[in-house]
Amino acid sequence: MQSNAQLEYDYSVVKLFTFTTILFGIIGMLVGVILAFQLAFPELSNLAGEYGTFGRLRPIHTNGVAFGFTLSGIFATWYYVGQRVLKMSLKESKFLMVVSKLHFWLYFITILLAVVTLIMGYTTSKEYAELEWPLDLLIVVWWVLWGVSMFGMIGMRRERTIYVSVWYYMSSFLAVAMLFLFNNMEVPTMFWAGDAPSSAMHSISMYAGTNDALVQWWYGHNAVAFVFTTPIIGMIYYFLPKESGQNVFSYKLSVLAFWGLMFVYLWAGGHHLIYSTVPDWMQTMGSTMSIVLILPSWGSAINMLLTMKGEWQQLQSSPLIKFMIMASTFYMLSTIEGPIQAIKSVNAIAHFTDWIPGHVHDGTLGWVGFMIMASLFHMAPRIFKKELYSKSLMETQFWLQTVGIVLYFTSMWIAGITQGMMWRAYDDYGSLLYSFIDTVEVLHPYYTLRAIGGTFYLIGFLIFAYNMFRTAISGRKLDKEPANASPMAS
Amino acid sequence: MFHWLEQRPFFFAVMLFLTIAFAGFIEIVPDFAKASQPTVGTKPHTVLELAGRQVYIKDSCNACHSQLIRPFKSETDRYGMYSLSGEYAYDRPFLWGSKRTGPDLHRVGNYRTTDWHENHMMAPAEVVPGSIMPKYPHMFTNTADIATAYANANTQKSLFGVPYDKEGMPKLGSWEDAKAQALKDAKKVAADMKNQSVKDKVAKGKVPEIVALIAYLNSLK
Amino acid sequence: MNSMVKGGILLVIALMAATYFMAGDAFTLGDDYINDLTMLGAVAIIGITVFVSLKYINQIKNDTATGELASENWDGIGEYTNPVPMGWAIIFIGTIVWMMWYLFVGYPTNQFSQIGQYNEEVNEYNTKFQNKWDNIDEGQMAKMGQSVFFLQCAPCHGAEADGMDGKAQDLTARMSKEQILDVIKNGSNKLGYSMGAMPPGMASGEGAEKIATWISTGMKGDAPAEFGACSSCHGPDGKGMNGMAANLSGYDNTLLSKVLEHGKKGSIGTMPSFKGRLNKTQVTAVSAYLQSIQGE
Ligand code: HEC
Ligand code: HEC
Ligand code: HEC
Ligand code: HEM
Ligand code: HEM
Ligand SMILES: [Ca+2]
Ligand SMILES: [Ca+2]
Ligand SMILES: [Cu+2]
Repeated sequence: MQSNAQLEYDYSVVKLFTFTTILFGIIGMLVGVILAFQLAFPELSNLAGEYGTFGRLRPIHTNGVAFGFTLSGIFATWYYVGQRVLKMSLKESKFLMVVSKLHFWLYFITILLAVVTLIMGYTTSKEYAELEWPLDLLIVVWWVLWGVSMFGMIGMRRERTIYVSVWYYMSSFLAVAMLFLFNNMEVPTMFWAGDAPSSAMHSISMYAGTNDALVQWWYGHNAVAFVFTTPIIGMIYYFLPKESGQNVFSYKLSVLAFWGLMFVYLWAGGHHLIYSTVPDWMQTMGSTMSIVLILPSWGSAINMLLTMKGEWQQLQSSPLIKFMIMASTFYMLSTIEGPIQAIKSVNAIAHFTDWIPGHVHDGTLGWVGFMIMASLFHMAPRIFKKELYSKSLMETQFWLQTVGIVLYFTSMWIAGITQGMMWRAYDDYGSLLYSFIDTVEVLHPYYTLRAIGGTFYLIGFLIFAYNMFRTAISGRKLDKEPANASPMAS
Repeated sequence: MFHWLEQRPFFFAVMLFLTIAFAGFIEIVPDFAKASQPTVGTKPHTVLELAGRQVYIKDSCNACHSQLIRPFKSETDRYGMYSLSGEYAYDRPFLWGSKRTGPDLHRVGNYRTTDWHENHMMAPAEVVPGSIMPKYPHMFTNTADIATAYANANTQKSLFGVPYDKEGMPKLGSWEDAKAQALKDAKKVAADMKNQSVKDKVAKGKVPEIVALIAYLNSLK
Repeated sequence: MNSMVKGGILLVIALMAATYFMAGDAFTLGDDYINDLTMLGAVAIIGITVFVSLKYINQIKNDTATGELASENWDGIGEYTNPVPMGWAIIFIGTIVWMMWYLFVGYPTNQFSQIGQYNEEVNEYNTKFQNKWDNIDEGQMAKMGQSVFFLQCAPCHGAEADGMDGKAQDLTARMSKEQILDVIKNGSNKLGYSMGAMPPGMASGEGAEKIATWISTGMKGDAPAEFGACSSCHGPDGKGMNGMAANLSGYDNTLLSKVLEHGKKGSIGTMPSFKGRLNKTQVTAVSAYLQSIQGE
């Protein structure tokens, strides 16, 4: 084992992205909690005129957490993990340093503009691709910058073989680039306005109707895959072994799970279009590929759980390890839930109901959220050279958020299945048993429970933010970088 | 082989990209031409309807409402005939949605009317007790963007060959023609409405968002 | 960890029980295979996840990590060259084989079409209910009508059928004075009665007032003389002469089927046509229901 002492890593970009992870996390999740309360208590939708309605706020939540919180987390950990497993420092290249700083600032501006434009009602309506064309162009610029820094860093590496985590970050970069370009093919309409004083922001999709849907869900499903899944796997492959000091259980499993996931994932998008007007064979392919997808997904999770073989002690004593083990468990939960929801007959009920947001948040709260927070916790003592401020706050946060997630998904499972079945129910005379509003009213208690669960999670996140902040400003100074277990004051 | 790739990032990236890109190619290319053929009788939206559609998008009605009736008896009984691919041939973007917090709207024009929407959009819970849909009073005062709707229609016509100005299809013409036609259509909708300030606005040549939106909702059949 | 899993399962059970209590009649098991499969799926998700993760958590508790280390090391992280877990590999291969079989053999030979499936569903529905509809009695008719009414009509007319403060027709009473005055003034011709259109201005001023008051208060006592202008079409009793013109005293089957077929545009607003959205039995049923709630 060579020591890292000679090489001094540069964490300035890591710190910037850490800051935005927390900032956009707070904004995005706060909006999520507001949305949840709006569905339980609809008067809340009308507190801020047209700017506060559920419809206006929802894209701010999804974009805020996906492209604000999660992408920031991905970039923060990339610049950290990348330097370390490639064994190069950004200090060694002025060029890459400038590129990565520029990457950050353009990104930051884009997300701020995203919030502003979305609240003003500029959206293309395509889920997770709502931003209008000028912002799309900005995104392309910093995505390319990220690629330049990534391949630049890889080019300068001292470690001949590239580590698993880097495979996953690379896959995100490549896949999102391809998906994003195709799904955001839109034409600004101002060029055909004639004399009409039309808006410069407006665009229409290059594809129409069923084709548009097809491209959208090829994108949408894989945006989930390459934003909420692969980079997070990249994180766990680094932070779990590093924090616990254990070796990864099996290289072979790493390889098979990776290439399996890469091959299968892209075929599964059809499961968002079941019983729609896209050709039947595509729907069926989406369904069957989704079932196959369980295995490569679980492969990584199992690899991580087995890495911790015999380390019960650590699991009990370290809240950081708890976060990561819980994250892989939730990852397993959502990657068997998704495939089962992709079965045609199950999707007949699940689609359009709250069971889908239930599934979404198993993954995003339990897997994405927990892994990102755990990663930042692990990085904090190393980038700030301080001891983590409070272990007991971490414990509190862990349990509060876990209870929050359980409340969230149990209530949404039941809400979704109830609603799905009520929509299909007939009475003895062959008339539909429930009017639509019956199926809305029955959800009220579950919407309330979800809102409470979400509030728990948000409070947990605020505790996290506070803990990070205190670590940075008043944690005990460390004179040596900890090799494994992150030091934390009780 | 894998280990060989892991030491050569360039080839690794190429392999990875091929693996990823393959599926999209198979999935998307074959049916692209077929799925976009309009069904007989499908017409592009008028400029006023397009302006309403833009209001629908601006306020993200699609966050709560689908426009896709699946072929189940329970859906066709509730919403009408299941949706067909060709009916969407002029939809840019498509608005199927992915969540039914509220009911499907693909054929709402068949069973709701102008005055109902007027009451409902102003205060949903007063029309449907227990409704959790937001109120949209701002649509009664905001002005719809007819100019952008015209640009939208003209882009569809010029770039994608959507048959505006063809026989039996909606007229587009120049911006002046289109504006006059939109106002005429708006007057028809406003005639069935009760809200006096909306009627006054339309009489003065301004189109409130609600009028355009209702024109759009009525066109969903 | 274990106590948490238990707590979670308890919570799920409690919530399920609450759901069943609130909306249990929506899902009788065994009625609809889609419901059954969904329930089974939900149980499988939780069951398999809990079972498998507990298996590995047990290994975390009781096993020890061993293996041969690969030569690489990244920032202090090593990798064992352990073989892949057998169970995982077998199931992975199994699902791939199944997928290949299903896509290339199982699926095309099934000749599945979602519209075909829909047609089958509709046929099944028709056979299931046809018999019921053929032998339905009065009381059941009104009950059936009530459920149709709640689904299709209540969004406008209100669950109480009272028109919700004048947003639509109050169906617990016949027309109001204002509505009648409006028809007298403007005529009426959308409903498709054999008499055709009713011309505007059949009465005016005081006469119209008198007629409208008399009709809207239930046609009690003698008709005002001015009603003579109306009775040539609506009959001296205002009942519409067996469906020649609209019945002014109540919602009879003819009026209702005409309103449902053509819709109605009047002084309150517009009602859509229900042509093709309700079958014949349903129309008769709604009519029976509306008649059953008159004058309560
Ligand atoms: C928070 C979710 C939500 C949003 C956002 C929302 N709706 Fe709704 N909508 C509902 C619910 C719930 C119902 C059913 C209860 C009712 O009829 O009010 C409904 C019903 C409707 C109906 C009646 C359909 C029927 O068959 O009865 C129409 C039309 C409608 N909404 C249009 C819109 C439009 C247009 C917008 C956007 C400007 C919109 N909605 C935004 C939740 C929402
Ligand atoms: C020429 C024949 C004729 C005469 C005379 C006539 N009606 Fe009518 N009336 C009709 C017909 C036909 C309808 C149905 C019209 C339609 O299709 O909407 C009708 C409809 C009505 C309706 C609306 C019923 C509903 O449910 O929509 C009212 C109220 C009414 N008549 C009142 C009167 C009164 C009061 C007078 C006399 C002042 C009168 N009618 C004279 C033929 C006549
Ligand atoms: C979208 C709203 C809407 C729906 C849905 C609706 N109605 Fe109506 N209905 C109205 C309005 C508005 C009027 C009053 C029209 C007028 O006279 O101004 C009306 C009038 C009526 C009348 C009186 C007609 C007359 O000529 O006196 C009857 C009867 C009626 N509705 C029955 C029904 C039944 C039965 C259903 C369901 C199967 C139904 N309506 C569904 C809006 C609706
Ligand atoms: C094996 C892996 C997975 C499969 C097969 C899968 C499958 C599905 C299915 C069938 C739907 C519902 C489509 C519908 O009916 O509307 C869905 C929705 C969704 N899933 Fe997954 N899922 C998987 C893993 C995940 C993970 C790990 C996450 C996040 C961390 C996730 C996030 C989402 C999101 C955000 C949606 C909502 C999409 C929308 O807006 O409609 N999924 N998934
Ligand atoms: C504080 C906790 C959170 C709460 C209370 C919350 C609440 C909500 C609500 C109410 C919705 C709308 C559901 C609907 O339309 O019915 C939603 C959607 C969504 N949220 Fe969250 N959210 C939270 C955190 C997160 C996080 C951290 C992520 C991602 C990392 C996330 C990702 C999403 C996504 C992708 C959707 C869209 C789902 C779909 O379209 O099916 N949420 N959330
Ligand atoms: Ca876009
Ligand atoms: Ca969605
Ligand atoms: Cu998906």
